[in-house]
Amino acid sequence: MDSKAREALAERVLGLSAADQTEVTIGSESADLTRFTHEEIHQNVARADTGVSVRAIAGLRTGTAATNLLDEESLRATVDRALAIAHLAPEDPELAPLPWGGPTQAPEGAYVKATAEASPQLRADMADAIFKVAESNKFWCAGFARTQSAGFTIANSNGARASFDGTDSGINVKMNASDSTGYGQAYSPDATTLNARSVAETAAGKAKNSAQPREVEPGEWTVIMEPAAFGEFFAYLGQHFSAQAVDEGSSFLSDGLDKPYFGENLTVTDDYANSLAPSMPFDFEGQPKKRLTLIDAGVAKTFVTDSYWAKKLNRENTGHALPAPNAYGPQAIDIVVKPGTKSTQELISETKRGLLISRFWYIRTVDQKKAIVTGMTRDGTFLIENGKVTGGVRNMRFNQSIIEALGKCEFSNAPQRTGDYWFSLVVPAAKIEGFKFSSGTQF
Amino acid sequence: MSFDDLAARALDTASKRGAEYADLRFEVVRAERIETRNGVVATLSDATSRGYGMRALVRGAWGFAASSDLTHAGIDATAARAVEIAKAGAAIARHRFGAAPPRAYVDSFATPVVRDPDNVPLGDRVALLLAAEKALHVSPKISVGRAWIDLWRTDKTFYSTLGSRIEQSIRQTGSGLEALAVGDGEVQSRTFPGDIGLYKSGGWEIVEEAQLSQNAQRIGEEAQSLLTAEQCPSGTRDIILGGSQVSLQIHESCGHPAELDRVMGWEANFSGVSFLEIAQLDKLKYGSDIVTIRIDNTLPQGMATVGYDDEGTKSGTSDIIRNGLLVGYEMSNDTARTIGRESNACIRAQSWEFVPMIRMCNLNLLPGDVPFDGLFEDVKDGIYMESNRSWSIDDHRLNFQFGCEIAWEVKNGKRGKLLKNPTYAGMTPQFWNSCDAIADEKSWVAWGTPNCGKGEPMQTGRTAQCASPARFRNVQVGVGYGG
Repeated sequence: MDSKAREALAERVLGLSAADQTEVTIGSESADLTRFTHEEIHQNVARADTGVSVRAIAGLRTGTAATNLLDEESLRATVDRALAIAHLAPEDPELAPLPWGGPTQAPEGAYVKATAEASPQLRADMADAIFKVAESNKFWCAGFARTQSAGFTIANSNGARASFDGTDSGINVKMNASDSTGYGQAYSPDATTLNARSVAETAAGKAKNSAQPREVEPGEWTVIMEPAAFGEFFAYLGQHFSAQAVDEGSSFLSDGLDKPYFGENLTVTDDYANSLAPSMPFDFEGQPKKRLTLIDAGVAKTFVTDSYWAKKLNRENTGHALPAPNAYGPQAIDIVVKPGTKSTQELISETKRGLLISRFWYIRTVDQKKAIVTGMTRDGTFLIENGKVTGGVRNMRFNQSIIEALGKCEFSNAPQRTGDYWFSLVVPAAKIEGFKFSSGTQF
Repeated sequence: MSFDDLAARALDTASKRGAEYADLRFEVVRAERIETRNGVVATLSDATSRGYGMRALVRGAWGFAASSDLTHAGIDATAARAVEIAKAGAAIARHRFGAAPPRAYVDSFATPVVRDPDNVPLGDRVALLLAAEKALHVSPKISVGRAWIDLWRTDKTFYSTLGSRIEQSIRQTGSGLEALAVGDGEVQSRTFPGDIGLYKSGGWEIVEEAQLSQNAQRIGEEAQSLLTAEQCPSGTRDIILGGSQVSLQIHESCGHPAELDRVMGWEANFSGVSFLEIAQLDKLKYGSDIVTIRIDNTLPQGMATVGYDDEGTKSGTSDIIRNGLLVGYEMSNDTARTIGRESNACIRAQSWEFVPMIRMCNLNLLPGDVPFDGLFEDVKDGIYMESNRSWSIDDHRLNFQFGCEIAWEVKNGKRGKLLKNPTYAGMTPQFWNSCDAIADEKSWVAWGTPNCGKGEPMQTGRTAQCASPARFRNVQVGVGYGG
């Protein structure tokens, strides 16, 4: 459903509501994915749907209802259900009025028609190119190629009108050799810019170079995390920048802003307009997103809010609401870590003994306030000796505070969009001293 | 036009366009959630979704398309899309693994419900949560209290070109509590029941069984006490795990590695592979002799109990681990054929818009013969841990590290002082081979896991791992906090 149709639908739904305040969110998505293993497509899928969510406010009471049935009767029933739920809810004295912060402009490059109209054949061609790299190396491969488009329209009875259409595409490849594996990935709003063969060759190179992996001792290591690994690691700090986490005491920022929690090399922004990951310029209340500096040269500067938490904490609404109902509070979802000045190769060259990490797996929080996380390396972990990568090593488990790790860090000059998350991450490679590994595994 | 007619149209369209086999699931899904947070209702929502997902098989390659468009044009376009996608896959296929299921059923299934949630007024549901959550706030140190109820209903009908027509009405319900305590740089949380809540198939009786109000004050007090508790020591200890933690251990270290698609490399780029390789079947001593882990998708109140899976295979029982030996896998039709077996009905989709894939269902550790208190006897220096806080395992499912919310020292068979931040770690087969006692059926609970993630695009599965508390010898503890 295009933006004009969504906007017309939103007006119809708003017109059905008798609530004191009403918000209508319409999401329309078309998502296709081709997944493969052992040079065979085993999941080849497409889905399309449009959903309508209604938030009704009666006085200080709120209810939400949602449906994907778009006939008049179903829409009216959904609007009535939201209001009926609101009438049964207790009053929330801190409830904020539905916001309207003015119009926004979508960042350049967020929507690419060729991606929205991509065919199954385009993805099959990508898969075939990856298969050929695997076959030429006598490896087997697993991964996916995906294309998708999504549009959101948000309208409320206080005047908010916001629409956005975006596209996305991605390739993810794991190459498997007899005793080693390698990983490659690429993401872009423009599927025609993805180079499947190049991604496959990166993964194959890692599998080849990490063959016959050595076992190394756990303990403290200098590590260089490539962007895919650093993004996975850093992502677990994201929720700390929520006003809700700060207020409840579970964020490190609960101890106060304007403190040097990190090394001065670390600057983090929340920026929907970053050219590598252009995204929606407003939040799920239709409020324009602020482009924020969260950490400036190691010093924590601010956190993100939505209408509820802005009112509750008497701060500016930064435009970071998630879709209602939302028990998680506002979130920073367009995180960008500022790059450094050296190439990844230079960072490696300056390392006497360390580990080069391609990717992490199954990171989980061990201690929320201290931001201690645990996880495993995977798909290409290498030993660095005297400034050179000298071979693969077996994978290891780490237990490490993200805050401590970023106390002494250095970044490469080549940021990448990384990960296949519901939020966006643009990060460089990171060199970290004294990274703590606790155990190894058998591969 | 009824959906039977629309389904017939879709299957006919797929066949005419070249599908050798096709099937279709029509679903209406309704999800209601209430969540209270610090005395206010943070979530009060009711969402309905209706649509259909269709699989088409062309020259051994599958295509899947899903849509909510129920017009004739929408049905025709979706069927054509499924066939087009299958043909694109078939065009580059190196070998062909897809095949139609071996048989068809015409049948129906409905989850037994004692008390229909629709007969419980919304105001009563909200009042229950507000009262329970209020009781969590035993002191100002409880920064956040939360309480929640989820009510899910799925009505679906499966059709296939083989002639299957299977109508199912599935009801799943869950509820829980959480208290977050903050003090002196320390944050501690306690949840109940288990770490997610109590989730089962059934109606309002599942909420009543959870006894939220009766336990809320204790949970709040435990959260507060953890702020000043001693740190769990580091080293090697005998450990006793509470039932919900054993359930998670089964989920992560047996349920996922025993998914045959994973064993075959279908999840290699994301969830990973498995140490339970096919060559190990009927040979690997996975656990000690008392460890038997069984699929039972007919179990009353099991979160994953249904009549048929999402390719129309009838639910039943089968063993994964029998007396410690690896003897089976969770399988679909396609994967089972590769090892000369038949599907054990473990292929499911999150909802209509997702393709079915192998999912853990009800995967149960059979109870032992020791009373719960008996687990503590014969433990000279150990730790009893309850309720998961953190979980991580490598992509072969070998090296794991789990953390729990709360623990107690065990000295000479007696439970002693409270310990905070307990963690334990190990390698899966060594760990399960160290299991020397499992509590009896009196403490056996059908713990549901409503949030199991797998696949690309990611799907959320609702599984259960029924378990009672169990004892494990000589386990590494205290990792992550200096150990």
